[in-house]
Amino acid sequence: MAPSSEPILQVSGLVKHYPLTRGVLFRKQIGAVRAVDGVDFTLGRGETLGVVGESGCGKSTVAKLLCNLERPTAGAIRFKGEDITRLSGRALKAVRRNIQMVFQDPYTSLNPRMTVGDIVGEPYDIHPEAAPKGDRRRRVQELLDVVGLNPEYVNRYPHQFSGGQRQRIGIARGLALRPEVIVADEPVSALDVSVQAQVINLLDRLQSEFDLSYVFIAHDLSIVRHISDRVGVMYLGRIMETGRDAEIYDHPTHPYTQALLSAVPVPDPEARDRRERIILAGDVPSPTNIPSGCRFRTRCWKARERCVVEVPALAVPEAFRGGTGSAVHDSACHFAEELRVVPAQGAAEGPAQGVAEENGSGPG
Amino acid sequence: MLLEVRDLHVEFRTRDGVAKAVNGVSYAVDEGETLAVLGESGSGKSVTAQAVMGILDTPPGRITGGQILFEGRDLLRLKEEERRRIRGADMAMIFQDALSALNPVVSVGDQLGEMFVVHRGMSKKDARARAVELMERVRIPGAAQRVRDYPHQFSGGMRQRIMIAMALALEPALVIADEPTTALDVTVQAQVMDLLAELQREYRMGLILITHDLGVVADVADRIAVMYAGRIVESAPVRDLYKAPAHPYTRGLLDSIPRLDQKGQELYAIKGLPPNLMNIPPGCAFHPRCPMAQDVCRTDEPALYAVSPARGSACHFWRECLHGPEQ
Repeated sequence: MAPSSEPILQVSGLVKHYPLTRGVLFRKQIGAVRAVDGVDFTLGRGETLGVVGESGCGKSTVAKLLCNLERPTAGAIRFKGEDITRLSGRALKAVRRNIQMVFQDPYTSLNPRMTVGDIVGEPYDIHPEAAPKGDRRRRVQELLDVVGLNPEYVNRYPHQFSGGQRQRIGIARGLALRPEVIVADEPVSALDVSVQAQVINLLDRLQSEFDLSYVFIAHDLSIVRHISDRVGVMYLGRIMETGRDAEIYDHPTHPYTQALLSAVPVPDPEARDRRERIILAGDVPSPTNIPSGCRFRTRCWKARERCVVEVPALAVPEAFRGGTGSAVHDSACHFAEELRVVPAQGAAEGPAQGVAEENGSGPG
Repeated sequence: MLLEVRDLHVEFRTRDGVAKAVNGVSYAVDEGETLAVLGESGSGKSVTAQAVMGILDTPPGRITGGQILFEGRDLLRLKEEERRRIRGADMAMIFQDALSALNPVVSVGDQLGEMFVVHRGMSKKDARARAVELMERVRIPGAAQRVRDYPHQFSGGMRQRIMIAMALALEPALVIADEPTTALDVTVQAQVMDLLAELQREYRMGLILITHDLGVVADVADRIAVMYAGRIVESAPVRDLYKAPAHPYTRGLLDSIPRLDQKGQELYAIKGLPPNLMNIPPGCAFHPRCPMAQDVCRTDEPALYAVSPARGSACHFWRECLHGPEQ
């Protein structure tokens, strides 16, 4: 699945501020929630970009902006070269067909009064050109089959399905218009552990079957790593570090990424004593009042004078410029340095399955 | 033994039938020990804990059998008034969602202080002072000022600290934490788990940690009990279980964690869905999803076989599971 040269999505300088106002008659703006505060990334065809971050970092707002559910305050989102943030009317509708969303909560994102057939077929009501009227039922049944549900279930209602099955319905709806990009916002976090893997495998299979590009938003770092080609780590409305999955996970250079990775509980009791954990102090600052300079500095153990005054750019840090290897990737930190925080693979070895010596730490 | 649950049965009577939520659960926790109860939604892990605490909704819930021995006394035989004295003072619970577990219209200081007023008969003034102490103990910055604040004025992590403070206020012998960090972000989760582990060591309390997260369990638990369809299917010291699970369900859960050397491959997934508690499959409840199932699994319910003195597995084929598939 090699990403082709021309990106399918190109996001530059994306900003979304929600104004805070006071007064009823004389409404005046007293500030803004800076939910997304300058985000750039590209998504190649057939590629999966994972976006990770904690609650309030703006990752879901990015998803809404990509699907045109919100209009950005500034910046551009180019779909195959065309800026979709300025579109309206028919042109906007045409683009929306190509970028579809899968939501987190399969309990609230399906209308309980509609049958599964109506839910999955609803996109055809909005885009009638996508399927001729007489053909819809067959198409819907095909879609159900594709996501692993019995096609005979078209007349059932959402409450008759389990969480994992509902998420499959949501995915079928997302696929109905044959989009090129799917934005999945925490698609498995509401599901039980044993069902999560089923849905991840389904998304994986659909990607190759339909030549999809994914923006995969999640807070579960091990799932993001499994599914993503590239990863962006967000904090308070900005991407702090981005690179290929192995670059981020094995060679993180931004202190926030390092803390985030080290805090993830590892399913291996043997690693308890060997792990180096970085416990961050305090909470994420409010997005209405973002710290000056580097926005992470209030929780960073490395913060110095320079971090207060100068905003670090998202680029290859000075220390690594001209170098080679996996530490050379974009990281928005003045004092970036490599720190391995995830235990070597040998540690995360699964349950005894015969001999596992040849499982080295991988090429990285 | 601090707490011993013996052959507990709980069912819920609903309009659609009887849901058998807990079907013969036994476990024990000693002082200073952390027992993790791992399971998916509907496995009965929270219902068991509610029965221990005596906060099960009855009706529709009903305890139909078993014993809950706390410091030797069977709690199920006590009067509600006696149980109320135990609850809070000798055993306490930490809930997943602090925002809905705390009273939104009472300041956190008053909620913490209430523990001392009700159980210890302190004056309001002394209770307030103890509340500030507790808030400092769980490292809430500016405790003396914030004691007057209301729950909504705190962040998620801080609220969970207040819940912990409340649970530990009277230094109970047993604390049950039901998914205490599930609603929190990763970095805050680490802070809160660290705090909980530290306080447990200090007070030498028994801790039952209810969770669905294999990672959290590996980090803090001494023993682990895996639940499925209202039963314990495997019970083991934590290191043994991760090294070599003795039940196919545990093995499936461990195998479905994404691993580095499997990137780009299909993840292992347990097929099918958790059972409906109104209609639990006969024999071993896991057999419709089990890759090792044989005829005997469809008819005979496996007992919790002793794999070793410290381990049990409710699988007819635990030996095959433990030693891996013969290939």
